[in-house]
Amino acid sequence: MEILIVAPLLPLFPLSMVYTTLFGRLTHPWARAALLLFWPQAGLLALAQTDANLADGVVVWALASALLYALRALALREAGLWIAFMAVSCWTLLWLFAATPAPRSLLHWQALGLSAPLVLLTVLNANIARRFGAAYAGVSPALAHCAPKLAGILTLTVLAAVATPLFPGFFILFALVMHTAPTTPWAAVAIASVWLLWSWSGARLIQGLVVGPAGSTPLNDLGAASLWAYGIGLTALGLAGILLAGALL
Amino acid sequence: MSQASARQLKIRAMVYTAGEPVPFFWPMRAFIHHNPLHGLEHLAFADAVRSGARLFHARGFLSRPDYQTYLAQEHVCVATLTDQVRAFAAAREPIPGIDLADCLMTLLTKMPAPVIIETCLTHPAPVHAKLHNDATVIAPAADSRQLSAYLRTQLLEATPVQEAIDALYGTDISATLDERIIHSCLAFFDEGQATWSMPNREQGFFQAWRMIAERGVRRRLDRIETDCRAQGAPFGPEDVIDYLMRDLGIDESLWAGYFTREIARLHGWAGFIRWRATAKHYHWTHTHPGDLVDLLAIRLTLARQLIDRRTQHGMATCRGELAAMIESRLPETWLRYRFHTGAVAPDLAHVVDDTLARGRSADIHAVFTQVTATDCQRDAAQQAGRLRALAHHAGNPKAFDTLPPESLRHAMQTLADFEQREGMIWLQAMEGHAIHQLLDGITAAAPRPPGNTAPFAQALFCIDTRSERIRRHLENAGDYQTFGIAGFFGVPVSFIAADRGNETHLCPVMLTPKNLVLEMPTATQRDPGTVIVLKKALHALKTSVLSPFVAVEAIGLLFGIDMVGKTLAPRHYPHRRGHRHAHPPGAQLMLDKLSREDASALVRAVQRTVIRKALEHDLDSPPQLITDELIGKLHSAALNHDPTSPTLIDTPRLSAAQAHAFVDRLRTAYGINPAFEHRQMEQLARIGFSLDEQARCVATALNAIGLTRQFSRLILLVAHGGQSENNPYESALDCGACGGNHGLINARVLANMANKPQVQDRLRAMGLPIHSDTAFLPALHNTTTDDIQLFDLDRLPPSHLVYLDRLRDGLGRATQLCARERLPDLRLEPAASGPATALRDARRNAVDWSQVRPEWGLARNAYFIIGRRTLTHGQALAGRAFLHSYDYRTDTKRRLLESILTGPLVVGQWINMEHYFSTVDNERFGSGSKVYHNVAGHIGVMTGNFSDLRIGLPAQTVLDNGKPFHQPLRLITVIEAPFDQALAAVNGVVTVKRLVRQGWLRLIVIDPQTHITHIHENDRWRRRTRPAATEELRP
Repeated sequence: MEILIVAPLLPLFPLSMVYTTLFGRLTHPWARAALLLFWPQAGLLALAQTDANLADGVVVWALASALLYALRALALREAGLWIAFMAVSCWTLLWLFAATPAPRSLLHWQALGLSAPLVLLTVLNANIARRFGAAYAGVSPALAHCAPKLAGILTLTVLAAVATPLFPGFFILFALVMHTAPTTPWAAVAIASVWLLWSWSGARLIQGLVVGPAGSTPLNDLGAASLWAYGIGLTALGLAGILLAGALL
Repeated sequence: MSQASARQLKIRAMVYTAGEPVPFFWPMRAFIHHNPLHGLEHLAFADAVRSGARLFHARGFLSRPDYQTYLAQEHVCVATLTDQVRAFAAAREPIPGIDLADCLMTLLTKMPAPVIIETCLTHPAPVHAKLHNDATVIAPAADSRQLSAYLRTQLLEATPVQEAIDALYGTDISATLDERIIHSCLAFFDEGQATWSMPNREQGFFQAWRMIAERGVRRRLDRIETDCRAQGAPFGPEDVIDYLMRDLGIDESLWAGYFTREIARLHGWAGFIRWRATAKHYHWTHTHPGDLVDLLAIRLTLARQLIDRRTQHGMATCRGELAAMIESRLPETWLRYRFHTGAVAPDLAHVVDDTLARGRSADIHAVFTQVTATDCQRDAAQQAGRLRALAHHAGNPKAFDTLPPESLRHAMQTLADFEQREGMIWLQAMEGHAIHQLLDGITAAAPRPPGNTAPFAQALFCIDTRSERIRRHLENAGDYQTFGIAGFFGVPVSFIAADRGNETHLCPVMLTPKNLVLEMPTATQRDPGTVIVLKKALHALKTSVLSPFVAVEAIGLLFGIDMVGKTLAPRHYPHRRGHRHAHPPGAQLMLDKLSREDASALVRAVQRTVIRKALEHDLDSPPQLITDELIGKLHSAALNHDPTSPTLIDTPRLSAAQAHAFVDRLRTAYGINPAFEHRQMEQLARIGFSLDEQARCVATALNAIGLTRQFSRLILLVAHGGQSENNPYESALDCGACGGNHGLINARVLANMANKPQVQDRLRAMGLPIHSDTAFLPALHNTTTDDIQLFDLDRLPPSHLVYLDRLRDGLGRATQLCARERLPDLRLEPAASGPATALRDARRNAVDWSQVRPEWGLARNAYFIIGRRTLTHGQALAGRAFLHSYDYRTDTKRRLLESILTGPLVVGQWINMEHYFSTVDNERFGSGSKVYHNVAGHIGVMTGNFSDLRIGLPAQTVLDNGKPFHQPLRLITVIEAPFDQALAAVNGVVTVKRLVRQGWLRLIVIDPQTHITHIHENDRWRRRTRPAATEELRP
């Protein structure tokens, strides 16, 4: 019963719809960013209040939710929704960490490490939406032609979100696979599958937004200040990843 | 003829006609420049560009910013531009309060992007409202008839069904189909690159493909074949096309257009298949036949298969269903089309996607209304903004704000029409500048005083634009006179090199040479057998599937040495490795015709040798028992069909039956029979030239360029060729007039002919007072380094050897100066560097295997000048002109001029058009960046590991940092001759007459008698007088 209280916050399907609906309703990027940062933290706090050991069923449920949302993200073309679904897929994996003997305090950092690239991506998404009306893969003009700097930053941020090396997500997932593989190899395989689906959907998103024919409308690329800000953000994520690696591995 | 056969013929003819707009694509071994819109040359240039743009999804003119850059650089004639704009404005109704000409000039010169949005033309009211900031005007309801008509045009007219399905459902059938077709073409048309080749290729493209097609495809084809056979008709690819076109529901009246669209989709492969099917002499055509009918049958079969597999229940899968969908479910069709073609506004994309996925009719209608209204409002706002920007630049910010709706509609329509014609206006203005530049130079050219003595040396260069520079520098280097002639020197030959077994046609592609020239080695060479075996072993090692796994460790390092050498010492390493040979040492050309007796004796000698070998091989006869008498009898028996062979029958080792069998084998397997002997005699009759032919060749060449007196002691015949490493486009740098080969063989052939005393006697008899001490010397101009190398010096009379130092000195100076002039354009060396340094850098560039641009080739070609050298002598044309020497005074019957127009000018026009279109749209008409090219099947190149065959020129040949280096102009042709004479010659050559009248060529006639320059413009002649300077000039 206690699990059901935490399930909407560390979203498990179908209770995850509470979060996705809320994310969809919020349109302001900072509101969305706040949601991305604090929602899983709230979930972890709620989880900390429960004394119950996590049953195997919960792990299976979490993995199934992660797989479901990763698979759904594969078909999404709207960047905002993609972020929301990726977030659900990421956070459900925190249940698996919670089931391991690792210290629970570390969970908050892991949640932050998984959410931070999505926060950056939310801000970028707003940036693109301001220019085109929406960041919709295959419909918005190819950024590589009309705004190469924005395209570069977007690509790196999506890579960070799908847990590529150096970014925190990579070390978090790597540690999770390492922890689960000896005891529950099927779970490790499932996690690796989720990871693969993330990469695939990330690549599709990049392909739809960055690559393609140039649009006819001239577009202002990122200014120097914005470029620096995003650059610093990404560098910080990289450094955070390395630091997190020390704690996790 | 049966009804079925007639039907097959009809379809075949239809496919061939449908393929005509697709240009030929020649294999890259002998790169042939061609006009990508050659199939549309029957149309006026502007119309052809429009049709080509539609057919190939390409652009026919540069973008406006590119033209504006040219304007800023003063490469555009402002007067011509203004005249054309005024002429356009004058033909239109005036717009109240707006100076139309001024407005259009502003649009051309100051607006970076098109002003008119097409969709706003149908609804100017919202634009008017936006201009007045009137928020009360609501977007008009979408006009169903207009939308329906638009969708029918986009999805039904000549659009292949699979493309329409992709546009409505977001499937990727077309891309997958292209992928499979490319795989099939690569497998079938491979010319030795693949390690494992496709089986059964000798049965033809369609049949070979059918045998290895997937099971579903084979089953479908079996069904079609069964249907055909049941009706008692033969079965072929035509029947497949017939069946599938009916199955797709395409009305037969639309088939031709449909075929063209299907064929043009992969126009590189289609162009190659078209060319190959017509190249009767091409080895691979004989061994592995295939044509457009095969290609289309395969394409339609695969398309049908993919449509069936990729579509789901309820989706339209044939033309009839698509038409019904447009009529009955217009809102859904419209939303689908906008969404899947990426035309829907991004912020509405999610709503549209969601609504279409749910499929509720009421929701679809609501979203349809929302989308059309939003699109209309947004377009109107954007349109109003653009009009305001134009008005602001024109200095009349309120110009469009004050217009009533009807005037606004008229103004927008006028601007739209103008933007349609804009490309031609810019083009003519740029050509105007180029014409003025040339004609002003001609007028200002300082006349050269006529001389009474022959110059130290005369040199005949190819008309190629790269010869212009070296000719100019050579003329300035000393007492040299130069001439321009087509690079095959008027001698079309088929050539078999000493180390090759195949014929190469060394002449323009529109000619078929009658005479064959053989190269015979005179010096002892290294054991060729060993070299060939080693080369084959290495090739097998590299291409085998398994050997690379072990070979890399075993001998990979050896290849590394080669790489390091070429990278670190590009100038010295290749020489040490000695892998470049201009031609085999000590080779002679077999030039003279064999008499019938000689040819017969030669054939007999070969036949006797064959019989001897056959006896040894088939009967194991010891050599001592094979007598001449025995061979003679066998020879006679085989040729005369003598049923008895007494000597053999007498041989105790053979029975009579065995002897008869052996004679039969001689006839069938070894070709000792009258028919084969006749063919051999015919082949031998092609070898060489008779003395009369030789004299005629030399006389024609000399007359054509007006070199009919004052012959120098040394006459150089300078062929040309490029030099580059690691370059699939190597042959594009060679001579177009020699079929994409270097022209040295032609130069050697003509020099050998002209040096013969008997030929010279005949020349004198023809009225060419050639001196007995005149020596013709072949040479090769390396266009990448500008080096000129002399050949056949061993044939030079000893009396002439003393002049060689002076000659080499002059050539050397010209080489250095030419390299210095060229190098700044290659961004290799600042203009201030010395000639010697420039030459050194040019030589290094030629052997650098990482160099994507060894030279600029024929880029920036613009002029074709037919006249005496004095016309442009002293004028630096920067390598932009084809210079063909011609003296109208020696051509009263116009035959020489007509032959120049027929051959060299047409080749020049192909070159010019290829450069034009490769520049204006390098992705579609050119071949994109060389960096991503990979050789495909030894035929051409693909981008990456998989694409259509890339036609046209690479970006590195025509673009500089993505901007045009080549100025895309139509070839400006200048003829120096009396106007009537020139006009009659042009009218006498139908091809050229059509090119001129349809605007594919710009023609100028400079009349040396009246001193009037006649410029052909918009199908009219315009006069331009010039000072009477050049009539007094004498070559």
